[in-house]
Amino acid sequence: MPIDRRDFLTSSAAALTAAVLPRTAAAKPHAAQPHVVVVGAGFGGATCAKYLRLWDPGIQVTLIEPNPHFTSCPMSNWVVGGFLDFDYLVKRYDKLPKYGIRMVRDRVTGVDGEKRLVHTQGGEKIAYDRLVLAPGMEFMTEKVEGYAEGAKAGKVMHAFKAGPETLLLRKQLEAMPDGGVFIIASPPPPGRCVSGPYERASVAAHYFKQHKPKSKIIMLDGHIDVVSKGPMFKAAWKELYPGMIEHRPNNLAVGFDHRTMTVRTEFEDQKGDVVNIIPLQRAPQLCKDAGVRNDALDRWCRVDFTTYESTSVPNIHVVGDPIMSNMPKSAHVSNNQAKIAAAAIIELLHGRQPDPVPVIGSTSYSVTSDHTSGSIAVVMRYDPVKKVYQRQPEGGANKTHSEIEFEYGRSWHENMWADTLG
Amino acid sequence: MKRYTLLAGFVLAALGAAWAAHAADAKIEALARSCNSCHGLNGVSVGASMPSIGGLSESYLYNVMLQWKHGERYSATMGRHFKGYSDEELAGLAKHFSALPWVPVVQSADARVLAHGKEATERCETCHGATGGQPDDKDTPMLNGQWAKYLELELMKYRTEGVDMPHKKMRKNAQKMGEDADVAAAAKYYAAQPK
Ligand SMILES: Cc1cc2nc3c(=O)[nH]c(=O)nc-3n(C[C@H](O)[C@H](O)[C@H](O)COP(=O)(O)OP(=O)(O)OC[C@H]3O[C@@H](n4cnc5c(N)ncnc54)[C@H](O)[C@@H]3O)c2cc1C
Ligand code: HEC
Ligand code: HEC
Repeated sequence: MPIDRRDFLTSSAAALTAAVLPRTAAAKPHAAQPHVVVVGAGFGGATCAKYLRLWDPGIQVTLIEPNPHFTSCPMSNWVVGGFLDFDYLVKRYDKLPKYGIRMVRDRVTGVDGEKRLVHTQGGEKIAYDRLVLAPGMEFMTEKVEGYAEGAKAGKVMHAFKAGPETLLLRKQLEAMPDGGVFIIASPPPPGRCVSGPYERASVAAHYFKQHKPKSKIIMLDGHIDVVSKGPMFKAAWKELYPGMIEHRPNNLAVGFDHRTMTVRTEFEDQKGDVVNIIPLQRAPQLCKDAGVRNDALDRWCRVDFTTYESTSVPNIHVVGDPIMSNMPKSAHVSNNQAKIAAAAIIELLHGRQPDPVPVIGSTSYSVTSDHTSGSIAVVMRYDPVKKVYQRQPEGGANKTHSEIEFEYGRSWHENMWADTLG
Repeated sequence: MKRYTLLAGFVLAALGAAWAAHAADAKIEALARSCNSCHGLNGVSVGASMPSIGGLSESYLYNVMLQWKHGERYSATMGRHFKGYSDEELAGLAKHFSALPWVPVVQSADARVLAHGKEATERCETCHGATGGQPDDKDTPMLNGQWAKYLELELMKYRTEGVDMPHKKMRKNAQKMGEDADVAAAAKYYAAQPK
């Protein structure tokens, strides 16, 4: 790329802007084409890479992802409920290169924030001007004694990263006898998709109602209540599955014995025929190694909410699940954050000021059966004084589920996958 | 909200009028990009029940967004969103999406269904044109190549008593349609039209 910045500027308004900005603010970027490296081609990473290129073809973008395909967590509960084929969750990455993104199939093993280099498992060293970390989350399985052994024996799974565990859970539900007990143990927030466990209980109940009506679902919930879409879920359960789902709040799972199929919480022991434990989560080890997992509890990454740049290591941005914030950890929020980060990175590379007050519009649809859903819809605006995203009034969850929301929710997935992947 | 406007004002004043023009456009652009996750890139949807919005008229877009904001129009989702936006932002969004081309997503259907749909939409021609693509005024949306499932759901909203859809004439016309099967056929007919 030639050094002349004006080549970047497309509209006359933007050209004028450059003329009136103080010299320091309009400082020249690197002589060569700036290079942004994005780690992880999930909802956050793939969206960020795509929008960087869409909005500024003058930027070189490399997207690093070890998996050959994308597998969607949203809709994976439909597979658990038995009304969707797993294959439908698997999407190709083949459209992303058309945006001029260089895709590298590898796993990032280390980040050198000082030298601005990422190291990969395949032995590559890739230099960046700016780095975007979007590796999702990892489970703190050590917080559930016996989980690792149970998982190795195939007796417990989280099924909270869509993949083989999603199918394993489905198979075990199919094999469970009528009258069996299905345990879902879920953590308190913050964590990925807080409404996911309640959606899962709903789809399992939908399946049991038709095929194993004497069965029971026991939710051992680390949270104080069905806080996400609570009234909606509770009304749907009462209407569709009376007596089938027992929700026990404030009951975090801390142990599991796979020989007796017993889950131990802080208060009780509960035996189950099929056991699904979703452990506490944190930003992946990679974030820690890069020096950006920097909150007091060593769990999440603190960022500047206008740029998503780490508060501890310059030139490293973090989007999606790993972030510490009051925003939900969802595909829709990750996708929104990725666009804000992409726009900010472009402004920064051009020596301009990023949007000081970004806005996030987010909706999450949860199914309650194979033809009904309820949703939560919120708009969040960044408040630069309080330094948090503020929920705008009158958004929120609906109190009842409906068939029309199921229809809209289904299409939400199609558009979300397309917005993320091509 | 107040604070947000104040701060934005401060930033804009500091950087001058040209920056203001750029920033205002960039801001709308940024807001519009968040709609892509449901309505598709450039407002062209790929989901059967989610409407394409790129290329609808500015007046129609602004009108429905305001109705949602003020709770005057039924919605499953949009009402809860637009309460969080200022009128200026909604006007900017309407301008942004109306400046994009209308890209019909042509959906095929059985010849018998199409013939049924053509018949069922005869009375609609005066306002929507023969294919739904020649609206007679700026408050009438494009229907050609809109998603069939979406059109069907909308028609059911206009037909159902107690569902707030303020446009009286459109409501009357939808209610005069016969069976629900006519509604589905009409929706499929419009969805199949390239122009
Ligand atoms: C059952 C379930 C249902 C859900 N339903 C919804 C829903 O309806 N709506 C919604 O909005 N959200 C939903 N979610 C939440 C959503 O899936 C997550 O919040 C979202 O995937 C987070 O996006 P992300 O980009 O942060 O992480 P991910 O999508 O997990 O992407 C991370 C990517 O990084 C890659 N990666 C990890 N480490 C490395 C490395 N070292 N090097 C290179 N690449 C790496 C991974 O392979 C992965 O592809 C659901 C989640 C679950 C479990
Ligand atoms: C979570 C998904 C979602 C997001 C995000 C979203 N919409 Fe919508 N939109 C819908 C749904 C669902 C409908 C159908 C109406 C309803 O019941 O809410 C709709 C309908 C519309 C319509 C009516 C189209 C017509 O033909 O009458 C307009 C206009 C619209 N949206 C504009 C927007 C704009 C502008 C944004 C971004 C600020 C946006 N939407 C973001 C889901 C979404
Ligand atoms: C008098 C003029 C008029 C007639 C006749 C008319 N429409 Fe409409 N139609 C409108 C207007 C105006 C709107 C937008 C109304 C609103 O703002 O809610 C509309 C909206 C619609 C929509 C919703 C589109 C969207 O994007 O949400 C559909 C579908 C539709 N009309 C189908 C029909 C059908 C089918 C008929 C005939 C049975 C018909 N219309 C007859 C004027 C008309």
